[in-house]
Amino acid sequence: MKYYKIFILALACTLQLSCEDFVEVEIPDDRIISESVFSSDETANSAVKGIYNELYQATFSSGFQTSVTVLSALSADNLKATVTTTNLLEFEENEIFISNSYNLGIWSSAYNIIYMANAVLEGLRDNSNISPELNEKLTGEARFIRAFTYYYLVNLYGEVPLVLSTDYDDNSRKTRNSSSEIYNQIIQDLEIAAEQLGSTYENGERLRANRFTAMALLARVYLHLEEWELAEDYSTEVIEASQTFELLAHEEVFLANSREAIWQISPREGGASQTNTREGALFIMLNNRGSVALTEDFIESFESNDTRLEQWIGLFTTENESYYFPYKYKVKNATDEISEYSMVMRLAEQYLIRAEAHARQDKLMEAIEDLNKIRQRSNLSAQNTNDPGINQDEILNLILEERRKELFTEWGLRWLDLKRSGEADAVLSSKKPFWEDTDVFYPIPEDELRKNPNLTQNEGY
Amino acid sequence: MKNNYQSRVYIVAVIVIGLLLIFSIKSLSAATPKPLPYFQDITITGTITDKDGLPVPGATVSINDSNNGTLTNMEGNYELTAPAGATLVISYLGFKSREVAVDGQEEIDIQLEEDVQALGAVEINAGYYNTTDRERTGSISRVSGEDIEQQPVVGPLEALQGRMAGVEVEQPSGVRGVASSIRIRGRSSLRSGADQPLFIVDGVPINANSINSVGPFTNSSGMDPLSTLNLSNIASIEVLKDADATAIYGSRGANGVVLISTKKNKGDQTQVEAKIYTGFSKVSNRMDLMNTEEYLEVRRTAFENDGATPTESNAPDLVLWDQNRETDWQEELLGGTSPITDLNMVVSGGNEQTSFRLGGSYRNEGSVFPGTFEYNKATANLSLHHKSKDRKFVLDFTANYGYDNNELFYGNNFVERAIILPPNAPELYNEDGSLNWAGGSWDNPLQGLFRPQNIKTNNLISNLSVQYNILEGLQLKTSLGYSNLSSGENTRFLIDSYDPSTWDQVNLRSYHNNTQRNSWIIEPQLVYNKSLGNLNIDVLAGLTLQDNKNSFLTFEGTGYGDDSLVGNLRAADGVRINSDEKLHYRYAAIFGRLGFDWKKKYYLNITGRKDGSSRFGLNKRIANFGAIGAAWIFSEEAFIQENLPFLSFGKLRGSYGTTGSDQIPDYGFMDTYEATDGPGGLYPTKLYNPNFSWEINRKLEAALQLGFIEDRINLELNWYRNRSSNQLIGYPLPAITGFSSVQANLPATIENSGWEIALNSLNIKGDNFSWQTSLNFTVPRNKLVEFDNLELTSYRQTYRIGEPLDIALVYKYGGINPETGQYEIQDVNDDGRIDFSDQTGTAFLGRKFYGGIQNTINYKNFNLGFLFEYINQDRPSYLVEMFNSPGSYGNNSTQILNAWTQPGDNTNIQQLSQSIPSLLSYFDVLNTDLMITDASFLRLKTLSLSYKFPKDILQDLGIKALDLYLHGQNLFTATDYLGLDPQGGQVIPPLRTITSGIRITL
Repeated sequence: MKYYKIFILALACTLQLSCEDFVEVEIPDDRIISESVFSSDETANSAVKGIYNELYQATFSSGFQTSVTVLSALSADNLKATVTTTNLLEFEENEIFISNSYNLGIWSSAYNIIYMANAVLEGLRDNSNISPELNEKLTGEARFIRAFTYYYLVNLYGEVPLVLSTDYDDNSRKTRNSSSEIYNQIIQDLEIAAEQLGSTYENGERLRANRFTAMALLARVYLHLEEWELAEDYSTEVIEASQTFELLAHEEVFLANSREAIWQISPREGGASQTNTREGALFIMLNNRGSVALTEDFIESFESNDTRLEQWIGLFTTENESYYFPYKYKVKNATDEISEYSMVMRLAEQYLIRAEAHARQDKLMEAIEDLNKIRQRSNLSAQNTNDPGINQDEILNLILEERRKELFTEWGLRWLDLKRSGEADAVLSSKKPFWEDTDVFYPIPEDELRKNPNLTQNEGY
Repeated sequence: MKNNYQSRVYIVAVIVIGLLLIFSIKSLSAATPKPLPYFQDITITGTITDKDGLPVPGATVSINDSNNGTLTNMEGNYELTAPAGATLVISYLGFKSREVAVDGQEEIDIQLEEDVQALGAVEINAGYYNTTDRERTGSISRVSGEDIEQQPVVGPLEALQGRMAGVEVEQPSGVRGVASSIRIRGRSSLRSGADQPLFIVDGVPINANSINSVGPFTNSSGMDPLSTLNLSNIASIEVLKDADATAIYGSRGANGVVLISTKKNKGDQTQVEAKIYTGFSKVSNRMDLMNTEEYLEVRRTAFENDGATPTESNAPDLVLWDQNRETDWQEELLGGTSPITDLNMVVSGGNEQTSFRLGGSYRNEGSVFPGTFEYNKATANLSLHHKSKDRKFVLDFTANYGYDNNELFYGNNFVERAIILPPNAPELYNEDGSLNWAGGSWDNPLQGLFRPQNIKTNNLISNLSVQYNILEGLQLKTSLGYSNLSSGENTRFLIDSYDPSTWDQVNLRSYHNNTQRNSWIIEPQLVYNKSLGNLNIDVLAGLTLQDNKNSFLTFEGTGYGDDSLVGNLRAADGVRINSDEKLHYRYAAIFGRLGFDWKKKYYLNITGRKDGSSRFGLNKRIANFGAIGAAWIFSEEAFIQENLPFLSFGKLRGSYGTTGSDQIPDYGFMDTYEATDGPGGLYPTKLYNPNFSWEINRKLEAALQLGFIEDRINLELNWYRNRSSNQLIGYPLPAITGFSSVQANLPATIENSGWEIALNSLNIKGDNFSWQTSLNFTVPRNKLVEFDNLELTSYRQTYRIGEPLDIALVYKYGGINPETGQYEIQDVNDDGRIDFSDQTGTAFLGRKFYGGIQNTINYKNFNLGFLFEYINQDRPSYLVEMFNSPGSYGNNSTQILNAWTQPGDNTNIQQLSQSIPSLLSYFDVLNTDLMITDASFLRLKTLSLSYKFPKDILQDLGIKALDLYLHGQNLFTATDYLGLDPQGGQVIPPLRTITSGIRITL
């Protein structure tokens, strides 16, 4: 009978445990519930830091061959592919297949970053658990990142859905918003960011957005909107912050926290094994021709005494062919001591923005002065500010050319410049055999059209 | 183990019920009681043996017309007090019952005759209880250990291919140790990969999801967690299919249940059995590719057609490489022979109260790839059975432990390269034996050999079950299960896997995966059997508490200074954790079963379960499931016996009920953040939905079982219809939502219906010669019945209402443009662009029908068995997985030689070209109906030939049994499919294996 008693006891014990209580499991230590993320200053700050970390990983911003930096440079006239990777060739030949996975990668990683920013903004809204100063700062940063991401989306794809919440049910059926709606949102976000963010860089690291970062992007955005005066004002604010920013010698520009940097992304965000930039890893050719190289056409655009030729461009030769590669970043090996950060925005661009804004307002002398800042650093002769023969168009052209040579393989700026200036068709139709005027926008990824019946395709695809 | 323990309980129960039944029937029918010559009781002893003279333990010896009876002991002996004039009835499962008059004898030895074809002969494991083919009310398929053992494969699922109706087992490739997939009665979820049934090994539910792996050979399917089981130690595998059989598993039963039982010992004779086999495997299929002359001609033509010049970057095959070399890359890379050795040893023994079975095995395999990559597996198993002298207390224990060590390598596109490498590509090795990199003009395909991947898995599955018979017919039992799996994988990138010219840049690295799975389960149960006249009742009530902890850690070490240090994390410059996941799943339930039968003719089975699972949010945690099954053995009816005398058995059965599916990730309902790779950051990893709930699967089944000519021919015909609604899925979202999916329940209903036929026929039965055929055949039908507002969801371009789930939406092929020579797609809606709205064709890619046929022929001591598997299906052409358009770099099928050259050419290969526009039109055509090809096949899955030495010869040598055998697996495949494997596409097809062995029993 003793077994019998044991069984009854065991059964009674087990029945005591109510089923519901039993199936309650604790959250494992590898994750945090989002409510608790926004319940303390520390974790809320981590959620924003997380977005910067993810920018290093996100397809569109990583600097690798799937990023805007490479793909848009291929679409323009700065880069060419040296491998037979179809995804790359499609961008280079402006014949992008609607199911191109790199294209989908840009689109979806950008919206993933926007989701994170929206989640932070929602988590911080009317949140009294977070100290007010930090709340303002984090909100400003999230808005800046959202604006930055939309800036690329609207430039690469034209009209895109404007997603400002995390409500997936609603978002999954969004239609495309007009470019002006997107730009309005970008400006609103950036203005709030510029107002809420301070002027210093945290710990001397130029990795998190501050007031200048927001203004630098505003200056660029107003150039797109042809608000020349505002572009001039904002770039002037940045340029005049000389205690923070200065133009450096070529070899110092891309170093970590260089004084020319307005915003950088640290390779440390890739985790322990990644300590240098993906641009360096991708572009630098040591023993083979890599996967992308600079075009001959681009190399020929330099004057022979331009120091950038020597400082920022490398040469690799095989038995019968030679390749030029971008050499702004000097460290290829991912595990060498960290010394460079991936540059997103820097002071030289602000000079060129202001030069253009000046020129557009017919302040030609000021325009030439700003342009000369950049030219002289590269050992080029200064344009004569009093040259009576030079007209506005010629100056604008000079600025466009200078931007190409100064900002090549940085965040697709050449591609955006060609489109913004309306020169894309004229410049590229002679260089690209399959060029069509509708190629200025990338296709909306087929996968997206499949999943969202309210999206439409761009012309030409 | 619980199952087996239960089986014994049920034998006892069935016997007791049987006895009561016999007596009650007899007492009812005995209108004129026989006069008894002697009334005094005498004690009778004796031995019950089978036809070989071996004792039959556990047989029932009962006295006709009374309630008295006993069971034989381990030696087959019995002792019983009975009236001298009584009649003894001896019965045992699998034997024909016998009646013997006592006639005053005090010693009666009886030999029982085996009832080979009897439907009641084979016990079927239904999970919480046992049944037989005769009595079951549910749909259960069974494969015996003998059939499994015959196949020299690594994983148990592979051994099920072609053997069961309604069960689709697919081996993803011939790479050993990768997880096969099993799907029971069709796809019932919109999610792909959510078809996993519940696996129970000896009563312990196992997390049988494949183990994550990083290697190119293994990452898509993952590794098989069941590969550590010893196939020779499996007694049977049962698959539960319909509601009647699966509802008792509630929320885990929607996709069916696979019960694996290991072998137990019930005898008391000490016995040693050893088995050894050895043999080899080879890749079973090759593609027909172009030779160097043909290939180079194609390439030159492509450049001529494009007016382009070959350069070293776009045409190393034309510019840099020897134009006369010729290599058969399939032979070089996949042509190896892999040896196999498998040893097995079992000792069993015991006495009347306690018995045991202790076994071990070792297996070693080589590799069909170049290099030496071995597979080693060692297993140990113990089963222990004990019962108290009064037979009231019974204890069973089983433990199965397995270890395997699988050496593979990180062979990027290895199989693909064997196909597409130009036949004139350079030598693999330099003269000094190092890899040849041909000046950086190619990636040497053997580089992967220097990236060894090693997967070690330990798996322990154990169960303790104790039972106490409280009263006659009432038992309390508890089953305690524990399982622990740990698997570690490491992949090391060594320096030789890189081009020496890049060595100063190389970052030596290693990848590591660690998987831990721990689970325990407690199931106390109360079992009650009662006979009330003609009515027999079985009652089962139980409680389940289950706890699973899974953890998964992946990390990589980088920056090693030297080859010899790679993998030793201390020597790594950097260590990066790629994922560190810990999952906890808990499950609690109450379940029960009520079984009735009337005169062993009418059966009713009611099962139910109330479930709670931690995978669901607070409000959706508890759910009820239940089923009812009924059977009528109409051949017992007098009017049938009179009118249809040729019918030896006839049964109609049916069932209806609900089961659920909780095959979704843990914590799916929670809104969580995880740590970023970079320091100090958190990020949201998914969208969340707190309201998702069970998927409900309603199963309906009707079946007819018939036996003819004394059950020599048995036919079972099943019709089923399962409807799965409240679809729980990772609902795909457009990326603008930030993510690609969210867990949600959708108002969609999927229907799986079909016919299953199982036929068993003893065609010829003689003393020296017999021939038996088993056939199974399934015609499945899968349909998306309803999906509200499908047009407005992200599935609108994936599914179609009224069509099966496994469809591809395809363009209509428009022929070759006579001007450009390029493929054309039909712009169906005439909107001037080719996009998915033109993909109006639907191509069904699942199985249309399938089956298997097994023949077993015995001649004297020879036995020949062979199994054919047949599957009728379509799949995308091999080209879809190749990505090289006609004329671009890379070898191809000889079909390319028939490319378009001028208008009017009758061909489906576009003009040879290497340009991007031509590639894009090729990409388009890959999504057309042109690329859907017949991938039906007939495969000789298993062939076995064995010889059993005659007993009289062996007896003198002191050997109980000695067999010699020869086994072949995947010997032959007939198919029209052009790629490597009609089932897996461009993968290593299942290996062709031939082994020979010997089995000896002492």
